[in-house]
Amino acid sequence: MRTLLTLSWRNIWRHPARSGVLLAAIIAGLWAGVVTVGLVNGLMQQRIDYLIEGEITHAQIHHPEFLAEGYSWLYIPDHAAIVDWLENDQRVVSFTSRTITDGMLQSPVKTAGVRVRGIDLPSETRTTNFHENLVAGAYLGSDVRNAVVIGERLASEHNMELGNRIVLTFEDVDNELTSAAFNIVGLFRSASVDYDERNVFVRADELNALLSEAPVHHEIGIMLTDETLAGEVADALNTAFPDIRAQTWRQLSPELSMIVELGGVMVVLITLIIMLALAFGILNTMLMALFERMREIGMLLSIGMSRRRVFGMIMLEASMLTMAGAAAGMALATLSINYFSARGLNLEMFAEGAAQLGWDHVIYPALSALEYITILAVVVIITMLASLYPAFKGIRINPLDAARDA
Amino acid sequence: MTIVRTEKLSKVYNADTVPVHALNNVCIEIDEGEFTALRGPSGSGKTTLLNMIGGLDKPTEGKVFINGEEISKMKDSQRIDFRLRNIGFVFQHYNLIPVFTAAENVAFIMMLQGRDKREIQERTNKLLDQVGLGDRKDARPAQLSGGQQQRVAVARALASEPRFILADEPTANLDTKAAMNLLDIMEKMNREQSITFVFSTHDQRVIDRARRVITMVDGAIDQDEIQDPDNTQAG
Repeated sequence: MRTLLTLSWRNIWRHPARSGVLLAAIIAGLWAGVVTVGLVNGLMQQRIDYLIEGEITHAQIHHPEFLAEGYSWLYIPDHAAIVDWLENDQRVVSFTSRTITDGMLQSPVKTAGVRVRGIDLPSETRTTNFHENLVAGAYLGSDVRNAVVIGERLASEHNMELGNRIVLTFEDVDNELTSAAFNIVGLFRSASVDYDERNVFVRADELNALLSEAPVHHEIGIMLTDETLAGEVADALNTAFPDIRAQTWRQLSPELSMIVELGGVMVVLITLIIMLALAFGILNTMLMALFERMREIGMLLSIGMSRRRVFGMIMLEASMLTMAGAAAGMALATLSINYFSARGLNLEMFAEGAAQLGWDHVIYPALSALEYITILAVVVIITMLASLYPAFKGIRINPLDAARDA
Repeated sequence: MTIVRTEKLSKVYNADTVPVHALNNVCIEIDEGEFTALRGPSGSGKTTLLNMIGGLDKPTEGKVFINGEEISKMKDSQRIDFRLRNIGFVFQHYNLIPVFTAAENVAFIMMLQGRDKREIQERTNKLLDQVGLGDRKDARPAQLSGGQQQRVAVARALASEPRFILADEPTANLDTKAAMNLLDIMEKMNREQSITFVFSTHDQRVIDRARRVITMVDGAIDQDEIQDPDNTQAG
């Protein structure tokens, strides 16, 4: 076997330029593919993390009809009992209750439809990191009465700034229209322009005072010790409290769940496309090498080298060439991914377009061990397939070719 | 003892279109220790006969026995294994593996036989010494002259300890000095170790040194004569 390995390795370097070009193509192709996969992964993971940690959380509880209807009287029943349940469950790291209603925002310039989110500042800050999106002013911890934090974009569209007042109008739990003036104490900028234009944040107790005589809560966001526990915690809550609906982040945001599923497919797809292109290079190089060595392979068969060994030799040549390129390409890609995952790849020029889509423009590429293995598996399979044709052609060589004139 | 025996050996190429009768009812016997040359004009069938004896090609009709075993009815994989253990080949174009050194070229066939590493090394050194290339073990074929390459090819052919060696035009690409040197080596091995050599050749230098000369014409044996090499050499 060692002799066969030596023979195959030396055969590769009979034409250093030809093998070198193929090697360079494999290295460059794999580097580009792996880094692209890493960037796509990073982008998706950032989006998922951002939405989970910034707002959605691992699981949420609502009135069964609230998400479809959005009326403020569809609040969570048995709130105190649910809070008690959550406080005593080891899987729950933190949770926060939100009071939510849809209404109209009026400024001196115009009106706009918004979702008013009443939050409990201490528990919200413990549970999510949305407060990190604040770009001006203070969050809702200020002493200002009826404080509101609105999106920077919304403020700009209404020509408003910190300290200005807006009027929020909405229906209370008794179906009566109510409105109140709120003071802008802070501006936020999330990754999504759309979100910034349609959401405003107020204190839950001040919103509750306008909505209902007793405090009501429309949403409980829950962070767990592990994202994978979301399903079982939601099931346990639905069993314990039949009048509510607990859902995982995947159920709440199917498009986000799809992104996760897509991520896995993307790894295989991108690698497959790159490797398919490289496969033709491998096939071409191996066929050229084979045609040049017809007489030599004929000689090997003449002196008693079995066709199985000839087959193995050709497969080894292709495999070693590809594996050397793959190892170098993967190493280079790992270095690049590590570098950018620490510093981020700043795509400032696409910032505005990315924000419109709700994506961050600084990407931190990421690739899991499983994805590295998947890429390697795709490389190995494609290489083997590309080598099969030359190898089968090789074993069909007639030993009489050894005696033919050059 | 008879090593090679053929029975009514025939080979027809292009049987379906324009048939070419390369061999017609060839019957020969070659005994152990012979130093035999197959001669004849181009197209006379000598290389075809050599290929049949070497198990590289199958006859259209007839049988080939090597040491009593009928190789003409063996399957391809069986014939490859049979060649590995019983027949040594020397080709006109040397056909060494260019990426291997002289020693590696000789050792390779023994590796295919699955021999012990130490035995391979010892035998390789011994064979290269016998062909006068003990000091060029690490040279690659491109660094050797034609004559030296052909001597490595002879060492390689002997490495597997075959029953006999088939040499197809072994001196065709060599100058006189290299050809004579190669023939000296092969003749010495034949005389001292009783190694059987069968050549296919046009080369009068080889024919002169052979003890048996089989002349082929139109795919059949025209003459089969025993000659005294000492007389022919002297002449």
